[in-house]
Amino acid sequence: MAFRIGASWLLVVLAVPLAAAILLVAVRPRGRASGWIAGAAAAVPLVGILLFVPSLWQGDAVSLAIPWAPMAGISLDLRVDWLSLPFALTEAGVTLVAVVYAWGYHTPDERTPYMYALLLLFALGMSGTTLADDLFLFFVFWEMMLLASCLLILVWGEGEQRGAVAFKYFVVTHLGSLMVLMAFLLLFNEAGSARLTTLREAESLLPAARVPIVIGLLLVGFSVKMAVFPVHIWLPDAHTVAPMPVTIMLAAAMLSMGTYGVLRFTMGLFGFREMAPFALPLMIAGVVSEIYGALMSLAEEDVKRIVAYSSVSQMGYILYGLGTYTQPGIVGATLHVVFHGIVKALLFMVLGLVIRATGKRQLGELGGLGPRLPTVAVCGAVGGLAIAGAPPLCLFVSEWMIFSGGFRTAHIALSVITLFGSLLSVAYALRLMLGIFVGKLKAEVIEARPRAMLTSTVVLSATALVAGILPTPLIAWISEELSLLMGGAW
Amino acid sequence: MTGEAWVVLPLASLAVGALMVAFLARVVTQDNGWLAATSAMSFGVGLLATGLVAVEAQAWHQVTGTWPVWGSPEPGGAVLRADPGALLLTGVAMALGLLVAIYSGRYLSLDRRYMTYYPLLILLVIGLSALLKAADLFTLYLACELMGITSYVLVAFRCETDTSVEAGFKYLMLSSAGTMSMLMGVGLIYRATGSLLLPQPATDSIWARAGLACVATGLAVKVGMVPLHTWLPDAQGRAPSSISAMLAGAVEGAALYALLKVCLGLGLSPRALGTVLVAVSLANMCVGNLMALGQTYTKRLLAYSTIAQMGYVMLAVGIGLRECANEALQAGFYMLLAHAVMKALAFLSKGAFHFYCGVTEMDDLRGVARRLPLASGSIIVAVVGLIGMPPLAGFAGKWLVLAEVIRASDALAVIGAVLFVANVLLSLGYYLPLIARLFAPLELAEPPIVLSRWMGLPLVLLAGLVLAMGIQPQPWLRLTEGIGPYLLALAQGG
Repeated sequence: MAFRIGASWLLVVLAVPLAAAILLVAVRPRGRASGWIAGAAAAVPLVGILLFVPSLWQGDAVSLAIPWAPMAGISLDLRVDWLSLPFALTEAGVTLVAVVYAWGYHTPDERTPYMYALLLLFALGMSGTTLADDLFLFFVFWEMMLLASCLLILVWGEGEQRGAVAFKYFVVTHLGSLMVLMAFLLLFNEAGSARLTTLREAESLLPAARVPIVIGLLLVGFSVKMAVFPVHIWLPDAHTVAPMPVTIMLAAAMLSMGTYGVLRFTMGLFGFREMAPFALPLMIAGVVSEIYGALMSLAEEDVKRIVAYSSVSQMGYILYGLGTYTQPGIVGATLHVVFHGIVKALLFMVLGLVIRATGKRQLGELGGLGPRLPTVAVCGAVGGLAIAGAPPLCLFVSEWMIFSGGFRTAHIALSVITLFGSLLSVAYALRLMLGIFVGKLKAEVIEARPRAMLTSTVVLSATALVAGILPTPLIAWISEELSLLMGGAW
Repeated sequence: MTGEAWVVLPLASLAVGALMVAFLARVVTQDNGWLAATSAMSFGVGLLATGLVAVEAQAWHQVTGTWPVWGSPEPGGAVLRADPGALLLTGVAMALGLLVAIYSGRYLSLDRRYMTYYPLLILLVIGLSALLKAADLFTLYLACELMGITSYVLVAFRCETDTSVEAGFKYLMLSSAGTMSMLMGVGLIYRATGSLLLPQPATDSIWARAGLACVATGLAVKVGMVPLHTWLPDAQGRAPSSISAMLAGAVEGAALYALLKVCLGLGLSPRALGTVLVAVSLANMCVGNLMALGQTYTKRLLAYSTIAQMGYVMLAVGIGLRECANEALQAGFYMLLAHAVMKALAFLSKGAFHFYCGVTEMDDLRGVARRLPLASGSIIVAVVGLIGMPPLAGFAGKWLVLAEVIRASDALAVIGAVLFVANVLLSLGYYLPLIARLFAPLELAEPPIVLSRWMGLPLVLLAGLVLAMGIQPQPWLRLTEGIGPYLLALAQGG
C-alpha cells in the first residue's frame, strides 16, 4: 500500500519549531520544562522529514506554493526532493541530539527559555534553508540561521571574548551572505522569477558574460559558510566560544548548509559546460583546506579548537569531492556531509563530557581519563577512529567514494595528495584521543556526567558504527540526487 | 477658495487638537498624562482623517485621473493637493506622532514645561503635512518654516543642558540658511514664470533654473543630504529621543518627498534629478556609515545611521527616476517607510534607556539587557532591522533596493550596487557592538525594571510593525504603488 503524505506537511515541519519557540518566549516555563518542549519540537521535523521518503521513492518531489508578496516577487514555495533530503535529515537529527544534550549541559536559569527558543530558531533556519524553493525564502532562512546562532554565542558564549567572537562570526559570515544575495538578485532579475523550480527549468538563465560572475559569487559566498580555507577565519573562534550544544549544531549541521548551497544553486542550476572552469579551483581549494585544517588541528592545544580545525579539513574533502564532477565524488561528498555531521557531533559531545567532568580543556592538562570515564572513552574512540577514516566506521565509506571520484578525473596528482593528506587526519585524531584518554592521569574527575549528555553520546556512537557497516540505503537515497544536478547529465 | 475642502480635513483636525491641548494645559489640568492622551487622541483623529481622505482621493483619481486640490490658484493664494505620496507620508507622520505622544506620557513626566511640548509636536506635524500637500511654492515655503521653527524649539527643549541649546541653535542657523535660500528661489521662480503653482511648464529661463536650485538646496538641508547634513547628528543626537524619532522618521522623508515634487514639478527631467540623487546617495551612505563608526554617543550614532539610511532610500529613488521605473520608486518608498519605523523604534528604545538608566554613551549600555529587557529587545529588533536581517522590514527593503539597482545595470548602478553592499557590511561595524554591549557582563546585578505602559506600548507596537513589514511587505508596497506614476506625471507637466 502506498503511503503518501500531503504537501501541507512541509508547513508542519517548519511551523512546529517556530510555534514552540514563540511558546517558550511567551510562557517562559520554569526549570527543565523548556528543554522538554524544545526536545519535542525538535523531534517533529525529524519524523516529518522521514515521512517524505515514501513519496520521494514514488518519483515525485513534494512541493507547496503559497503566493505571498507578488509585488516583490516573493512566494512561499517549499519543496523536498532527493537533494534536500540528506541535508534536512542531518540537520533535524543533529538538532534533536543537541537539544537532548543541552538538557544535561545547561543548568536552567531564568534565561533558559530564550536559549531553547533560539536553538529552535537556529534549527528552523537550517530546515527552512533546505526546504525553501524560492530565493527570497531561502535567504530569509539562511540569515535566520546566522542571527540565531550569533545571539546564542553572544549571550551564552563561554569566556570574556564572546562579544568580539560573535562580531567576527557575524561580519565574516554576512560577507558571504551578501555575495549570495548579489548572485540571487542577478538570477532573479534575469529570470524574472525567484522560484527555484522555474529557474531550474529555464532554457538559459543568464547572458553568457554573467554566468561566471554569478557562479563565482555563489561559490565564494557558500564557501564562507562551509568554512573552507581561507574564508574559515570565523570558525575556530565561534566553535570554541559557543556553548557545546550550539557548537554541535554549528559544526555538524550548519557547515553542511554551505555544501547544500553549492549543490543546489551552482550544480543544480548550471550545467557541465558552465561549471567546467570551476572544477579545478574547487579541487585545489579542497586539498588546501584539507591539509591546512589538519595541520592547524595538530598545532592547537585547546581540545575544542582541535576539533574545530578538523571541520576545516573535513570540508576540504567535501569540496574536493564536489570539484571532481564525477558520480562517486559528488555522492561521496554528500554522504560525507551526513557522516561528518554524525561524527563531528559525537566528537564535540565527547569533549563536552570530558570538559564537564574535569573542568579542563587544554590537551596538556588532560590525560589518562580512559579508566575513569570508560563509556566516554569508548565513544571517543569511535569518534576518533571515524574522523581518521578507519573502516568500518562511517566516514571511511564516504572518503573512499570521494577518493575514487578523484581518481577518475585527469588530476591524479591532486588525488594522490588528498589521499596522503588524510594521514594527517589520523594524526590529529590519535593525538587528541590518546592525549585525553591514555597516559598518566593529570586531571581528576570532579563532576558527575549528566545522563542526558551521556545517553545522546552513546546513541550517536552506535549510529556512526551502524552507518559505517550498512551505508547502502543511504547511498541509494543520496544517489537519487544526481538526477537534479548538472542538468541531470548522469 | 475652490476645490475639494475635505482635502484639509486632517490638517484642520490637528489644528483643533493643538488648540485643545493648549487650552487644556492653560485652563484645566497640567497633568502630563492627560495632555499626552489628548495629543494622542488628536493624532488618532488626524490619522483617521488622513485615511478617509486617502480613500476618497483614490476614488477621485479613478474618476478624473487627477488628484483632488483645494485652495485658490490666483497669485498669492494657497493650494493644497492630496497626492498619494503626500497622503502616505502624512499618515506615517500622524502615526508616529500618535506613538510619540503616548510615549511622552511617561518620558516627559520629569521635565518642566511639557505643556508647550504637546502643542509644538502637533504643530510640527501640521507643518509637515502642509509641506507634503503644498501645490504652490509659497505654501511650501511657509510649511517648511512652520516645520522648522517648531522643530528648533523641540530640539532645544531640554534647555537646561548646554548641548541641547547648542544643537538647537546649530539646527536653527543651518536650516534658516536653507529656508532663506528657498525664499529667494521662490522669488526668482516667480520673477521668471509669473506663477508659483506646481507643476508648471518648464522654461529655459536662467532665473527659473537658479530659483529651482535655491529651493532644492533649502530642502536638501532638511533631508540631511551630504554635505548639508552637519546639523543632523547634533539635532538628532541632542533632542529628546521622542523628537529625534519624529525628525528621523517623519521630517526627513517629508522633505525628500517635497524635494522630488518641487524639482519634477518645475520641469527638471527625471533622469537629471535621478542622477543627482544617486550621486548624493552614494555620498550619504559612505559619510553616514564611516562617521557612525567613530561615535561614542548612542544617539549620535543612530543619527549618522539615519544619514546612511537616507542614502539607501535616495539610491533606489534615484535609480527609479533615472530609469522611469515604478518598481524602483516603490522600493525606495518602502525603504523610507521601513526606515521610519525602525529608526523611530531605535530612538524610542534609547529614550527608555536614558530615562531609566541614564544611558548616554555607548559604554553605558553595558549589561542593560538584564535591567530593561523590553527596551533591549525592541532596540535589538530595530538595529537588526537596520542591518537588514530577515525577517525584519530592513531586509525586505534591502532586497528590493538591491534588486532594482542591479536591474538597472548601467555604470552608475553598478557603482551604486557595489557601494551599497560595501556599506551594508561597513554598518555592521557599529550596529553589532551596540547589540553586543547590551549583553556585556556586569559586576553588580541590579534587578530588572518594569517599563511604564506609556513607554512600553509604542515600543511593542513599533517592534511588531518592523516584524510585520518584513514578513509580509505586500500591503506596504501597495501603499507606495501610486507615488511613482504621480511623480513621473508631474515631470510631464501634470
